[in-house]
Amino acid sequence: MSQQTSPIFGNLDWSVTPYTDLLRDVNSSTIVGAGAASVLVLGALFGIVLLTWMRWWGPLYRNWLTSADAKKIGIMYIALALVMLARGIIEGFVMRAHQATALGTLAQQESGLVAPDHFAQLFSTHGTIMIFFVAMPLLIGLINFVLPQQLGARDMAFPVLNQVSLGLTAVGAALVMISLLIGKFGTGGWTMYPPYTGLDFSPGEGVDYWLWAILISGMGSTLTGMNFAVTIFKSRAPGMHFMRMPLFCWTSLCVAIMLIYAMPALTVSSAMLALDRYADFHFFTNDAGGNMMNYANIFWMFGHPEVYILILPAFGVFSEISSTYSGKRLYGYTSLVIASMSIAVISFTVWLHHFFTMGQSAGVNIAFGIATMIIGIPTGVKIYDWMATMWRGRIRVTAPIVYLTGFFLLFVIGGLSGIILANPSIDYQVHNSTFLVAHFHNVIIPGVLYGMLAGIHYWFPKAFGFRLSERWGRRTAFLFVGGFVFTFMPLYVLGLMGMPRRSPTFQNPDFMPWMYIAAFGGVLMLCALASLAWTFWTSYRNRDALAVPGGDPWNGSTLEWSTPAPVPEWTFPRIPHVTARDDWGECKRAGDPWRAPDEYRDIEMPANTAHGLLIAGASFGLGFAMVWHIWWLAVLSFLAIPAIVALRAMRVIEPRIVKAAEVELADRRFRQQVASFAPATRADEETERNRGVPDLSEFAG
Amino acid sequence: MTKPNTGELDPQDSAGSEIKSYTIGFTASLFLTVGAFAAAMSDLPLRWKIACICAAAILQIVVHMRNFLHLSFSGGQSREDLLLVLFSATLLVIMAGGTWYIMSDLSGRMHDTDAAMHEVQPR
Repeated sequence: MSQQTSPIFGNLDWSVTPYTDLLRDVNSSTIVGAGAASVLVLGALFGIVLLTWMRWWGPLYRNWLTSADAKKIGIMYIALALVMLARGIIEGFVMRAHQATALGTLAQQESGLVAPDHFAQLFSTHGTIMIFFVAMPLLIGLINFVLPQQLGARDMAFPVLNQVSLGLTAVGAALVMISLLIGKFGTGGWTMYPPYTGLDFSPGEGVDYWLWAILISGMGSTLTGMNFAVTIFKSRAPGMHFMRMPLFCWTSLCVAIMLIYAMPALTVSSAMLALDRYADFHFFTNDAGGNMMNYANIFWMFGHPEVYILILPAFGVFSEISSTYSGKRLYGYTSLVIASMSIAVISFTVWLHHFFTMGQSAGVNIAFGIATMIIGIPTGVKIYDWMATMWRGRIRVTAPIVYLTGFFLLFVIGGLSGIILANPSIDYQVHNSTFLVAHFHNVIIPGVLYGMLAGIHYWFPKAFGFRLSERWGRRTAFLFVGGFVFTFMPLYVLGLMGMPRRSPTFQNPDFMPWMYIAAFGGVLMLCALASLAWTFWTSYRNRDALAVPGGDPWNGSTLEWSTPAPVPEWTFPRIPHVTARDDWGECKRAGDPWRAPDEYRDIEMPANTAHGLLIAGASFGLGFAMVWHIWWLAVLSFLAIPAIVALRAMRVIEPRIVKAAEVELADRRFRQQVASFAPATRADEETERNRGVPDLSEFAG
Repeated sequence: MTKPNTGELDPQDSAGSEIKSYTIGFTASLFLTVGAFAAAMSDLPLRWKIACICAAAILQIVVHMRNFLHLSFSGGQSREDLLLVLFSATLLVIMAGGTWYIMSDLSGRMHDTDAAMHEVQPR
């Protein structure tokens, strides 16, 4: 950087916003950049005005931001993920629109909607956001919401740590978001490989935004993993043996283990790159003994388990919904458990397949290629198990089932293209082409996105007390399936035709028809996003008709369906004694499942605290200050974090006590309400007659 | 030294031994860290330096596990603790061993012509 670093403002000055670029030169690229910044600013302003106008600041602070309730934390994670998803999909659309106009000629090579540097920022932020700030918060949020309820626990093992993790993830997302307005994001792709991202080739704040977003949110994810693991090991209800846990809990356990062991690798590789950039180290530089290939090695040691961190919760969701919506018991429970655990362990042995072409000898490549093909086996077992679950079931084609069907068809294609890529000699032909882009979108979108949206649709009534509109839910699902097919199938073809990935321009007119099809797919994806938003809005407006206070709208068989919807903060009036796998289904089979507990007792709940907010504030200060070299603020924020932790540790913190009388009143009202509703049959499931009390005679799960 | 971490501990009863355990752990960690730095800055031959640092690192891990993480091979939790240590060790071996395998192969093909020839030649 040429300018002097100011002692107060660091490298910040008025020239860092995209508006400066717009003033300097008006073209489509700077208009897109300034437009995105304006959307961010207007969105933030709109949020502030709305909160002030509706007087929601107080309730937001008291009921949500300071809450240590895992269910609320889960919902906040998902809200964060949906906001980021909107940005990620829009960026994807801008990239498709750019490439559809990017046919250059030999004379004039640069063309298209945005400038090459801007395009590089787009694919870097798109990848970073979609992996770290959409997929991760979606699955962590869903696990937070569902896991304690399925285990028969009141809360996570460490409720306040949970709050801190959410805060750290939100800080990472905020750093990526703010890079739209202040400064630029990195251009090295979501993996940020050195030496390109070293100080020599990428001076400026871009890579630093990525580094601090990843370092801070990665810390949050590691802590979350520990929290999940301890919750599963220590907080299960009495009688909930491991082999009685619902499959979603099993996949959560796998995720927890992988988070604990994989995230540190990312923290290490990012910290080493940060040392290179800030402290003149030479871990990954070209000269002075650096070895940039070790970055790829360490990064993918995290990166490969990461993709299974993303996919396993979706597998858990699919296990739940395939059983519930088919009215059948899950087929092959034990094989699914073994398959999940195998995936969790084998996923640590395949990381080299992300850099087959880096130059190691054939023997090394073969070893990892074989390991990669082996990991396809447990995944295949799972697909067969779900299909066998649905076989001869009374399937209701609800929105989650549409997602599941889309997943079956598309994920298998993505998996097969993965097996193709696992062969190093084929990988040499198609690496770094859009074939690869098509492959990983083909596993991540039908896997993670469909799975998480299906899960949101499935558990939404438990969180808010009303179902989502099935009609709009199905439309959204169809749009996501269609959008995926049109956007990414052409990329397979383009990859085989030789189109490199991340390429801002190309000179081959043969690409154009496929580019137009992919751009059309991008439009469908935008429609799917709008349709998703509309699903929430229209369901909210019809919430009285869609209300399911009985709490069991889908005739489920796991513990979380035994409580009212929306679920009270204490979840269970008494911690249940589990006697079987699918305990709630067993109660249904035994006769009257809605029996009140014999007695009510006081319930201890974690008290609200601003601890997570304070830590998040300090970490944001640290991240932002480090990005802009504002040293005084960085030192202050860094010292503030242990100070906040120490202050809390020195105080005596009393839990909040919910009186037995209050629990009894609420619980008795719920049981009376359940008794007053007419049971809804399978055919009534989508109608107003479904008040959350299913017809038990139809239960076959 | 460390108590088996089973069930409820009486805070009055265990506070003293807890503090003692943490103090011992902290002091040991401090010595091992300083020792590693001392070894790095000393005049020892390189091979010895590396050996010293590795030994200090492994001892440090053991100290952390015993005194800070309360892992123990006695008591009702010992089986879980043992599984945890073995699983962690397996993954660390996979990661460290894999890195060794990959990076030495790459390095051989980049710098050391003899090793590169040896690898490329068909057997």
